[in-house]
Amino acid sequence: MSTSERRERSHQSDLSLLSLFSMATYEHLVITDTKGIAVAAVGGYGRGELSPGSDLDFVILHEGQFSEDKLSKFVSALLYPLWDSYKVDHSVRTRLQTRNAARDDLKVTLGLLDIRFIAGDSELVEQVAKDSRELWREKPHARLLELKTSMEQRHNRAGELAYLLEPDVKESRGGLRDINALHAIAASGLVAVPLDRISKAQSTLDDAREALHIVSGRSKDQLLFQEQDKVAKYLGYADADVMMGEVAQAARSVDYLLGYIWHSVELSESSGGSLRSSDAQSVANNISVTRNEIVIDDAAALRTDPVISIRAAATAAQLGLRLSLETCSMITTALAAGESMLPTPWPREARELLISLIGAGEAMVPIFESLDQEEIIFSWIPEWHSVRSLPQRNALHRHTVDRHMVETAVRAAKLTRKVHRPDLLLFASLFHDIGKGSAEDHSERGERLIAPIAARIGFSPEDIQTLQILVRHHLLLSSTATRRDLDDPATILSITSVIPDLNTLELLHALSVADGEATGSAGWSDWKAALVSDLVSRVRKAMSGSQIAQQPSLSQEQLHLAESAHLTIELLDHPSGYSIEIVAPDMPGLLSLIAGVLNISRQDVKSARTKTHGKSAVMYWIVSPQPHAPKITAAGLRDEIEKGFNDSHLVEEKLLARARIYASIPTIPVPAPDVVYFNDVATDATVIEVRSHDRPGLLFRIGAAITQSKVDIRSAIVTTLGAEAIDTLYVTELSGGPLTDERAEEVTSRLRAALA
Amino acid sequence: MKLITAILKPFKLDDVKNALQAHGVTGMTVSEASGFGRQKGHTEVYRGAEYTVDLVPKVRLEVLADDADADSVVAVIVKAASTGSIGDGKVWTTPVDQVVRVRTGERGPDAI
Repeated sequence: MSTSERRERSHQSDLSLLSLFSMATYEHLVITDTKGIAVAAVGGYGRGELSPGSDLDFVILHEGQFSEDKLSKFVSALLYPLWDSYKVDHSVRTRLQTRNAARDDLKVTLGLLDIRFIAGDSELVEQVAKDSRELWREKPHARLLELKTSMEQRHNRAGELAYLLEPDVKESRGGLRDINALHAIAASGLVAVPLDRISKAQSTLDDAREALHIVSGRSKDQLLFQEQDKVAKYLGYADADVMMGEVAQAARSVDYLLGYIWHSVELSESSGGSLRSSDAQSVANNISVTRNEIVIDDAAALRTDPVISIRAAATAAQLGLRLSLETCSMITTALAAGESMLPTPWPREARELLISLIGAGEAMVPIFESLDQEEIIFSWIPEWHSVRSLPQRNALHRHTVDRHMVETAVRAAKLTRKVHRPDLLLFASLFHDIGKGSAEDHSERGERLIAPIAARIGFSPEDIQTLQILVRHHLLLSSTATRRDLDDPATILSITSVIPDLNTLELLHALSVADGEATGSAGWSDWKAALVSDLVSRVRKAMSGSQIAQQPSLSQEQLHLAESAHLTIELLDHPSGYSIEIVAPDMPGLLSLIAGVLNISRQDVKSARTKTHGKSAVMYWIVSPQPHAPKITAAGLRDEIEKGFNDSHLVEEKLLARARIYASIPTIPVPAPDVVYFNDVATDATVIEVRSHDRPGLLFRIGAAITQSKVDIRSAIVTTLGAEAIDTLYVTELSGGPLTDERAEEVTSRLRAALA
Repeated sequence: MKLITAILKPFKLDDVKNALQAHGVTGMTVSEASGFGRQKGHTEVYRGAEYTVDLVPKVRLEVLADDADADSVVAVIVKAASTGSIGDGKVWTTPVDQVVRVRTGERGPDAI
């Protein structure tokens, strides 16, 4: 099974055609000089490779010099003997007819790009070949667009090779037809196509197709279950799973390259060929957007900044852009040299970035594919190797294990508003099936495997425990809901005995939904979702405790500072950037004022704890600077805050100016913010919880909306988890005491409007 | 011949299936269903907002039986599906004109 055998088969066919051609020209055209008549191979045969079941594609070229009768007898004499041993696909055309056919029909054009002389007038074949190349390069954008459209239609019809259980190695996305398309794009001369990246994939797929034809005795290209074992054995793979894994991997590399090539084609069109790199826009530390791709500004930064590669990936995902191929190779080169390795445990920034990456929803998929194709993910998470392209021979599933987990994370990103710990949900989603690939129960194995990964990434021991519970029991809710009596207290007890608290329950619920949805309609339906929801609400009633963040308590020193009611600012370095303690005389709008000042100083709020004591507010902020942000000082902040005390519009105006800059950065779709209030968790205040995608100025808007509602913020607890923010506000009427339900409704709807 | 249709609580499916198999019933069709009867929907409170679940998830099971066997099959289903509480479901029979086994072309009781 090899390229040389396919070549030999093609060569033997050439010899048959050659001898038939000589006989037929002599007998029926009565000529000895073959000027003006020729046979040339096209398509796969034109490339000089034939699988046992391949069509013999060729074209008979002439110059219109023979009568129709003569020509038809000649063609019949050429074809009849071939029909016994080949599936023949032929056409009879003059040079002009060929040109016209190619102009009208993309398939003809693509076939002609591989035209190869077999017999007769070689000059005629050369002319046709030249015509075809010229035609293909004439209006490359229009022709490539046509090619892309036809490919998309084929992909929709035939599905993705890498993830189908019974894929078509030729037609499916990532299959042999796509490889031909890559060759055709290269022939257009419009963009450079690094075809060497897919040479291994091509031989894997060619071999699989050839073996399939041989063992099935048919020329079908779909790898059905019943053939997979035989094909794997024929090719010498350990088993069908190993072979299907290799086939999937090959298809992924083809599809990955195609993705980049289309991107370059689009860019070459929009830039009209001139590729300016001067329009780079800095979007994170050492990370820019250039030509609509994410690039690392400076290869040297990889040596000093181990977080940079994950920052590039997370930024790309959050902006919905690709990582440039050059940046990917920059990272792989650095990793191969042992540089840019993340320390253990990961720094907090790296963990947060990983969560931002996972939480980007659909936009995460192409980035994760890059990380897989470029083998970057394995330096971060070596455990991913064991599930890479791992097939699942299970009628419920439609994806390989790794892609299923990625799809689960995509679904989970839509559910982040439903939980208090979006980071744990996203992380557990991406790794819930990490235990697959051995005979052991995958949930139990997964529970064991997740702990060291989570520890390396820097989760706390409590969080690791929660993650272990989530992975261990990710099937618990759906199996219990469908198989046990929900009215039976023992059923509820069976859940509460392993799920310790409300937070874990809501995480497990969201994970079950995401997992089910990613599995597909065979494993999940509204029917099942309703049963699971019913179970969860019954379990929730049986549990007690609060999920609301508690108000911070103040130290003696802070209390003392608060008594003085003067503005004091203490600024310290912090692993995330700075920690800032501010004590300020309390006044309406203080939270939004400080949040606004931090934003115009180009600091992103990572977390905040604020509490009012007497006439002062004590605030503790952790912020991290945006790229190229000027260094901040306590004196500078004081200055800005005091200006804001005097004129609150000043901050707002500056913020608007900044907002215009942010608006030029691309965005991805994110779930809408969620605002809820609770009147039963604190005796002296109403608690408002805001869950939103983090974005510049978020806290300023929240604070401003609260101030406009004429309520007082007693305490605020602000948490950023990856790209998600959860802000808890303890609010009272200006005169003190919690809000009535009506007032609370009014405030929450004002907040929703402000965040929309 | 009769078509016996049963609407059951989902978790009772395994019990009913086992009981039917023990009774000698070899084939059945099961589908996901939702609906309500006297049980009606129930109101849930989820994060402060009240919403009504008006359709309750159920399982629909269908079995073909000879006239002589129908009553005993119904009895087996009822016995296995019962929890005694509201929402246990319903079982009914409908007359069937003709049954054909696709593979062999057998007709009538032979095809059951």
